[in-house]
Amino acid sequence: MFTHLHVASAYSAHYGVTRPEYLVEAAMSQGASALAITDRGGLYGAVRHIGACMQVGLSAIVGVELEVDGGHVVVLSHGGNGGLGWKSLCRLVSAYQKGKWSLVGLRDCTVLLGADLPFAQAAMRGERASAISLLRSLNEQLAGVSVAVEVVSHLTEPGTLYSSVHAKRLVELADAVGLPAVLTNAVRYLTPDDALTADVLDSARFLLPLGEFGLQPNAQAWLKSSALMEALAVEICGDSGRAKRLLDATTLLASRCVLSPVSDCGWGKPKTPEKALLGITGDPFAVLQEKVSAGLEWRYPGISGRKLLDVRHRLNKEMMTIHQLGFSTYFLTVADVAQMIRDMKIRIAARGSGAGSLVNYLLGISGVDPIEHDLLFERFLSTERSSLPDIDIDVESARRHDIYRAIFKRYGSSRVTLLSMQNTYRARGAVRDSGLALGFEDSEIDELAKNIWRFSAGSFRAATSMKPELASVAAALASDRKMNLLVDITERLNRLPRHISMHPCGVILGDASLLDLTPVEPSGLGLPMSQFDKDDMDPMGFLKLDVLGVRMQSAMAYAVRELDRVSGVSLDLDAVPLDDPATFRDIRTTNTLGIFQIESPGQRELTGKHQPTAFNDLTIQISLFRPGPMKGNMIAPYLDGRHGFAKPKYLHPDLEPILRETFGVVIFHEHVLRIFNKLTGCTLARADEMRRSLEDPRQKSVIEEFFRTKALANGYSASVVSAVWATLEGFSSFGFCKAHGAAFAMPTYQSAWLKTHYPVEFMAGLFTHDPGMYPRRLLLAEARRLGVAILPLDVNKSLDEYRVEKTPSGKAVRLALTELAGITSAEISRIIAGAPYSSIGDFYLRAQPSRKTFEHLALVGALDGLASITSTRGDIVAEVKQFNGIKKRSRETSQPMLDFAEFGAMPKGNAEMPKAERIQTELRLLKLDVSGHVLELYQPMLDAMGVVTASELVGLRSKTEVLVAGVRVATQTPPMRSGKRVVFISLDDGTGCSDATFFEEAQARCSSVLFNTRLVLIAGKTRRTGVRGVSIEASNAWDLKELWAQWQKEQRQSA
Amino acid sequence: MTRVDEAVEVSIGVTGEPIGFTWQGVHYSVNAKPLRWFARREWWVEAARVQRGIGAGVIEIEMWRVCACVGNGPTGIFELIYAAETACWKLVRYYLAAAA
Repeated sequence: MFTHLHVASAYSAHYGVTRPEYLVEAAMSQGASALAITDRGGLYGAVRHIGACMQVGLSAIVGVELEVDGGHVVVLSHGGNGGLGWKSLCRLVSAYQKGKWSLVGLRDCTVLLGADLPFAQAAMRGERASAISLLRSLNEQLAGVSVAVEVVSHLTEPGTLYSSVHAKRLVELADAVGLPAVLTNAVRYLTPDDALTADVLDSARFLLPLGEFGLQPNAQAWLKSSALMEALAVEICGDSGRAKRLLDATTLLASRCVLSPVSDCGWGKPKTPEKALLGITGDPFAVLQEKVSAGLEWRYPGISGRKLLDVRHRLNKEMMTIHQLGFSTYFLTVADVAQMIRDMKIRIAARGSGAGSLVNYLLGISGVDPIEHDLLFERFLSTERSSLPDIDIDVESARRHDIYRAIFKRYGSSRVTLLSMQNTYRARGAVRDSGLALGFEDSEIDELAKNIWRFSAGSFRAATSMKPELASVAAALASDRKMNLLVDITERLNRLPRHISMHPCGVILGDASLLDLTPVEPSGLGLPMSQFDKDDMDPMGFLKLDVLGVRMQSAMAYAVRELDRVSGVSLDLDAVPLDDPATFRDIRTTNTLGIFQIESPGQRELTGKHQPTAFNDLTIQISLFRPGPMKGNMIAPYLDGRHGFAKPKYLHPDLEPILRETFGVVIFHEHVLRIFNKLTGCTLARADEMRRSLEDPRQKSVIEEFFRTKALANGYSASVVSAVWATLEGFSSFGFCKAHGAAFAMPTYQSAWLKTHYPVEFMAGLFTHDPGMYPRRLLLAEARRLGVAILPLDVNKSLDEYRVEKTPSGKAVRLALTELAGITSAEISRIIAGAPYSSIGDFYLRAQPSRKTFEHLALVGALDGLASITSTRGDIVAEVKQFNGIKKRSRETSQPMLDFAEFGAMPKGNAEMPKAERIQTELRLLKLDVSGHVLELYQPMLDAMGVVTASELVGLRSKTEVLVAGVRVATQTPPMRSGKRVVFISLDDGTGCSDATFFEEAQARCSSVLFNTRLVLIAGKTRRTGVRGVSIEASNAWDLKELWAQWQKEQRQSA
Repeated sequence: MTRVDEAVEVSIGVTGEPIGFTWQGVHYSVNAKPLRWFARREWWVEAARVQRGIGAGVIEIEMWRVCACVGNGPTGIFELIYAAETACWKLVRYYLAAAA
């Protein structure tokens, strides 16, 4: 049987076409016993290849194709040597990626000398003597290294590269020098048809249209069958005896390279840092037990009685599972990292199913009490699965890279790498690269790419006939050949890997052998990054830590620090009680802007309807507001039950305790687990396995069978069993892990708490770290609504953050210098370093602002404090213009300011800047209307028209005809059950947000202002959405500026 | 070398190689082992569609170089192409030795 030893998978970005799994499947059905993967420049597809081989029972071979002077080599790892070959290959690839590498002295691998190397080129030209000497000297350089000559025939024109004639010369050459020759097909795709895709990938790699670079010679680089490869050997050698020896040498090398996944690559064996690094001596389980006991004292001080029993029972269960799986060191490692982060004074919170673990809570990895919130451990970890669980932690976004560096420092760079991810072709990228290949104009492609929304490249042709925005493409397809080609090749590119990049939050933690097991390459951050991606972690037994930067955590940490700095209040945000009535009262007003997870217009509307009163309500609300539950129409029955409009339906009394919290609606994975457990009597761990399998249609029928049989046997009626099964089945795509919801609800609650009790500090945090979906302008409006004063820019007081300042009337937030249009970070640093300044001249000399920045600062009032009290804004701007008029600026900061004394005596009396102009200047230079709301500019007209403010809406009856005006702050077109488009627009008018809904008829009336106008007037009817919620069903909308121009004209005429 | 572009009728031997062809009513017999290779096509210039599964025919074409003669006449070199999608043979080029 022939074994392919040179195969690039699709993970050879912009080169290979076929995913490893398909190559393996095809090799298997061709009757092969082994298959190699040799991606370009890395082992990107290796783990998937090995996994796929194991699944079908094929022997896996792994190598890499590397570029050398003048051509390529393939380096194959030898197998069955306890990982020596794999280590050698990984280290070689890492060195190659660093640009400091050599094949000299390479051990435990075989180097295939490619048919494009100089010696082979000489052979092609018929220069036999030179070819022999080149090959000899190469062989001498690589003395001690296992080397073979790679023979390839792609059946190209006789006498050219990769022709059979060329291949025959290479065989003769190998014989002459005494090296083994092996046959490969230098595969880059599965079938001849895929060669066309390879052409397009070549174009993307060369960044040139087809026809403008050297193309592959034909479509022969496919995974040919054994029979074809054997025939090819005969065709090349022209003699069946030599052909057989060529094939035998290939088979021999293949057998030498077969990897044992476990003993060569460490497959599936969990790897954690050595105990000593974690400060552990002795049995890790005993250490873990000590730590959780200490955690018990910390998390549950003074606990006793029934509660203590519950906690102990739960803890024992978790600890037994951890012990059985041998994961003690893993938990200690994550706890160690969490402690390190906390020691760095950085906020940390667990995310995902890890929040369901009491051990995580006791170790300080998670801040959510799983017992209080009724979360299940089995969703996170169980003996039914032996893979390392994912523990995801959220940290302050602004400190994430500090944490990465600290982890590298703590565990050593031989034990840590960043995680990579494979970016694949999506529709837009595919259209762009296809357009490039076909030589489309950039502008044509831009136009096309603009209209590509929400469909996969693989269904481009179908999309053209369904999407109105692609109507022009659909029309072109009828007659335009090039457009047809564009669509066809775009579809071919769908989902192919494009390039590797740093994973946004993943870190791999291992022991000292980590870099023997994974190749690494440099990342944008300067830290090494593994070539394996997140799906490779589990098979390789790597411990992956997700450290995700969350801006809200930064915003909250900032608020807490400002509180301490300005008011001396030391606040432990993680210790605030979770049942604060004032916090929930504020949430219920629906003024949730700035609060984590519940600030979007949709969440605001839901908040109005839901009226949360407890922490668990937040968990439920966050879990409900997602496409699945919305499409599945789960929100209405929940709300009906909650408000007592309908009696909850439980299908069976036994389900009531499980579903009471959600009034009979199945929302959480935890519900499914408990239902399985209750009705079939299976363990929760087993129940979670079944829940996971529900998504697989093949396994679903097996589970259904089990569920029905067991539930019937347990005495549930056939109708109950059917009804419950229908719910479970329908649920599978909607579910949400409650632990994840609760973990998310924590920062939601904490941010709401801060907003309620320390609004000034909280707003300063929001301004500084900008965590939400809204522009800063809207935060300003919210600050105004809350009565939080925003102080103008002041060069003596503003920094690069929004600082909290004490004022005579309390506290206020000072605008940051970063907001000013055109200011550079160097200017900001100089301004901060030089403050305070005694005069405008002093500032000019020492802060050295650019002319433009200087003037901008004056215009927005940042220099007001440096001028005399009697100076108007106009006087200050005039003075700045004087300075800016100086041709050459003195660089001597110590130079006395005598030169400028005369400016001080400048005549005063320039006009004060009117308020309207101030607001407009602020909007232009700061994008923030600090001195007043932008709508004030139009106030006379709004008053005349009887426009209602957002704050007045809540007092109106339902179905009142109203006009509202404001700045557009959000536009959303969520997918709807009916398939009809609905547009939601939120306007801010300085008193709050008004939300308007446009159905199709209204959209038709005002389509021109719907998406692009900034200042909008909307007419419509109020519609109550809950106790505190009002939205407007819009009938029409206008551009406020146009109305204003019209109105002013009318005023002038009537005057 | 002379370029032509004419359909020819080709007879195939047991190994799948041409053993003779008829061009303009004259039969040529192949008298040496033919050479086969695959040449490129510029599908982005020629093809109407290139959807997945269309086959390699749009990207490459099978070429044969055969030595053939008429009866005992002089041997010439002929290049034949085989278009898989239409199952048709064409003569594209030939070289006739000046004195054979």
